[in-house]
Amino acid sequence: MRGLLPFLASRLLRAGIALWLVSTVVFVVMRLSGDPVPLLLPSDAPQSEFARVRAELGLDRPLPVQYAVFLGHVLHGDFGQSIHFRQAAFRVVVGYLPATFELGLAAFTLALLVALPIGIVSAVKRNSVIDQATMGLALVGQSAPTFFIGILLILIVSLNLGLLPTSGREGWQSLVLPALTLGAFAMASIARLTRSAVLEVLRADYIRTARAKGVTEALVVAKHTLKNAAVPIVTITGLQFGTLLGGAVVTETVFAWPGIGRLAIQSIYNRDYPVVQCTVFVSAVLFIVINFCVDLIYGLLDPRVRSS
Amino acid sequence: MTEMTRRDVLKIAAAGAAAALPGLPHPAQAQTTQKRELVVAQGGDIAFLDPHLSTSSNDIRISFNIFDNLTSRRPDGKLAPGLATEWKLQGQTAWAFKLRSGVKWHNGDPFTSADVKFSIDRSLDTSLKGNRVNTVLATVDRVETPDPGTAVVHTKKPDPLLPARLGFYGGQMIPKKYVESVGPEGFNQKPVGTGPVRFVSWTKDDKLVLEANPDYWAGRVDFDRLIVRALPEMAPRVAALLKGEVDLITQVPPDQGERIKGNPGTVVSGALYGGLYVLAVNSKRPPLDNPLVKQALSLAIDREAIVKELWRGRGVVPNSMIAKGDNHFDASLPPLALNPAEAKARLKKAGYKGEEIIIETTAGYMAGDKPMAEAVQAMWRDVGVNAKVEVFEYSVRAQRIREKNFKGLWWSDPTSTLRDPDGMMWRLLGPGGSQDYWRHPEFDELGNAARFSVDEKFRGDAYKKMTQLFLEHFPWIPVIQPYEDYGLQKYVEWTPDPLQQLEIRRFNFKFRRA
Repeated sequence: MRGLLPFLASRLLRAGIALWLVSTVVFVVMRLSGDPVPLLLPSDAPQSEFARVRAELGLDRPLPVQYAVFLGHVLHGDFGQSIHFRQAAFRVVVGYLPATFELGLAAFTLALLVALPIGIVSAVKRNSVIDQATMGLALVGQSAPTFFIGILLILIVSLNLGLLPTSGREGWQSLVLPALTLGAFAMASIARLTRSAVLEVLRADYIRTARAKGVTEALVVAKHTLKNAAVPIVTITGLQFGTLLGGAVVTETVFAWPGIGRLAIQSIYNRDYPVVQCTVFVSAVLFIVINFCVDLIYGLLDPRVRSS
Repeated sequence: MTEMTRRDVLKIAAAGAAAALPGLPHPAQAQTTQKRELVVAQGGDIAFLDPHLSTSSNDIRISFNIFDNLTSRRPDGKLAPGLATEWKLQGQTAWAFKLRSGVKWHNGDPFTSADVKFSIDRSLDTSLKGNRVNTVLATVDRVETPDPGTAVVHTKKPDPLLPARLGFYGGQMIPKKYVESVGPEGFNQKPVGTGPVRFVSWTKDDKLVLEANPDYWAGRVDFDRLIVRALPEMAPRVAALLKGEVDLITQVPPDQGERIKGNPGTVVSGALYGGLYVLAVNSKRPPLDNPLVKQALSLAIDREAIVKELWRGRGVVPNSMIAKGDNHFDASLPPLALNPAEAKARLKKAGYKGEEIIIETTAGYMAGDKPMAEAVQAMWRDVGVNAKVEVFEYSVRAQRIREKNFKGLWWSDPTSTLRDPDGMMWRLLGPGGSQDYWRHPEFDELGNAARFSVDEKFRGDAYKKMTQLFLEHFPWIPVIQPYEDYGLQKYVEWTPDPLQQLEIRRFNFKFRRA
């Protein structure tokens, strides 16, 4: 593959700039949002005590110095000590990653398993009852806020039907509701996009030619349509996987799922700067890596992308 | 209300869910149980089990059960014997504690006065990394251990509240030998105490497992295992209770209480908050420097309406700056009065000319802060006060506290871990306190005398006089003493604690058996 090296180099450079921007923005925003020290001390602690803890955490130094120290450490993979957990922030975040991966993969698999067949069937049986019902549902799935879907599922499935646990992380049963909640948005958008991508291809000349040749409808769809509709579907799917990370913040909080989304929220409440910075940084890295992979797959599926 | 809040949406969702599935039985209906396991869900994660590293309520609910104190603050507010069976004052500055004999740490080591000295010294040790309680026992000068069963605590000045101080955070007793052998990190990961439950395992942000200490000196607890989970969102926390997955939940807001009460198997139980919700006043800022204006502001607040409408009855109207249940609370005083006509008269007498009076409030930092500020604003406008509500961030509030530059009034929730006016009121309003905006020579003299007197009768008289001065000058305008509610299965017999402890010792916790 010619041109792969420059392609990789420019991608890496862009990724580096993105990461620098992300960490700088988080650094500034967190410092604007308030002082962690009053949250750590009893309300009756004297001023000297506040000064002592501020010095202990390195918060007494001027902001530019704090920023320089922060960047220097980040280059060495060191995000500092968590204020709340009092251990290396990176270690804290890594400890929470498996739960998020587990939830993300489950949500993503569920979304694909449901969305692809629905999208294809809706396109092939366009304007049928199935099409209208599923696309209506998809619209709801795409527009309802995640916390609303989550709480609704808890109330109906778990509380009223008594089927699955309301929250926590114990066995596969407790994975179902959070995965469904987290995957709802991705499921809806993948279904809708699959439908329109397939519809588009079904209108193409080569499909008409195939039909004219007498190829059966099933073969038309399976062989000629899906392959050509794959490019936009892969794109949106890859992007959706990225947004799952964002959705995890709400889903993990609603279901008390011990992943990095929930860690991020708790750390913001605790003004735990190092952990928030590290969580955002790790999420940004994941997002960039996923996009990079999508670009590669895209290139494999569509030779035109490679040459341009 | 034209705007739909998130709460309304949830209500509709709940109603919809219930309506969609009629006839299904509610899961949690049992009035008795055979359970040997108590499952508690609280609103936040546990950060530390080492009692010297934290003052967070999510942590102390647990650490007060792994560890014991020399004295024990009961849910009824009284101070009872803990690891000390009795204590008495020797002279003015020495408190002698007689230690309970035969008590063993969870690892089998005996509890002695050496542990008491070690615990208090470590609590005061600023070189202990992450120490958050080193100011709690700041009045202590040194600890002497004449024999293994006696500890004598010397204070720098007379300290009437020392036994109370030792009953709360900073005063938990930890094992000298074990802590020295495993180090701070090892101790926090695997704590050893003398308390009713002992440590089994801890999965951060998921659950903590503890088991009954079979040899507990005050009797084995009424269950085999205690599991503590963190469920940060309120609606799922309530759902977990209604479904019967958990036995006890913390932090139930008034409107969710109705759902829990409406369910046949669950109840709400509350404790009056060990403090008050007050509008603190920047009395340096005209027209708030005029006592008549502050009297009028107090007279114009319909506190009954706030309790009834905003808190659904879950609160009481205060009568002074001393919270009900605290030392020296005067039950004979009437609740703070509502009298709009008199308020108008006093404003007129004060020569009030419509100067702007600003309430600065956070939105959601304290329960009900913004709605209460808006209600108070409307009540003040009704008597002709040009009141204005400004919403600010928590961080701005913290900054204003440091720089002492509030624009007018702001919400404060003063409380005392000692259940005493000295810690609750004098700590904040006294000279140099974080809410020092108003000085009065007599008030100051009385407050200082009460702080260093070990004569409770004298202290009581001092606080009575201070109350009179307070009700004339209103350095705070007290608004409500709310309940803090918990949700319980009906088979749980348990009394909540005003200081947010989770008292599960035998005298306070029982499963109702068939």
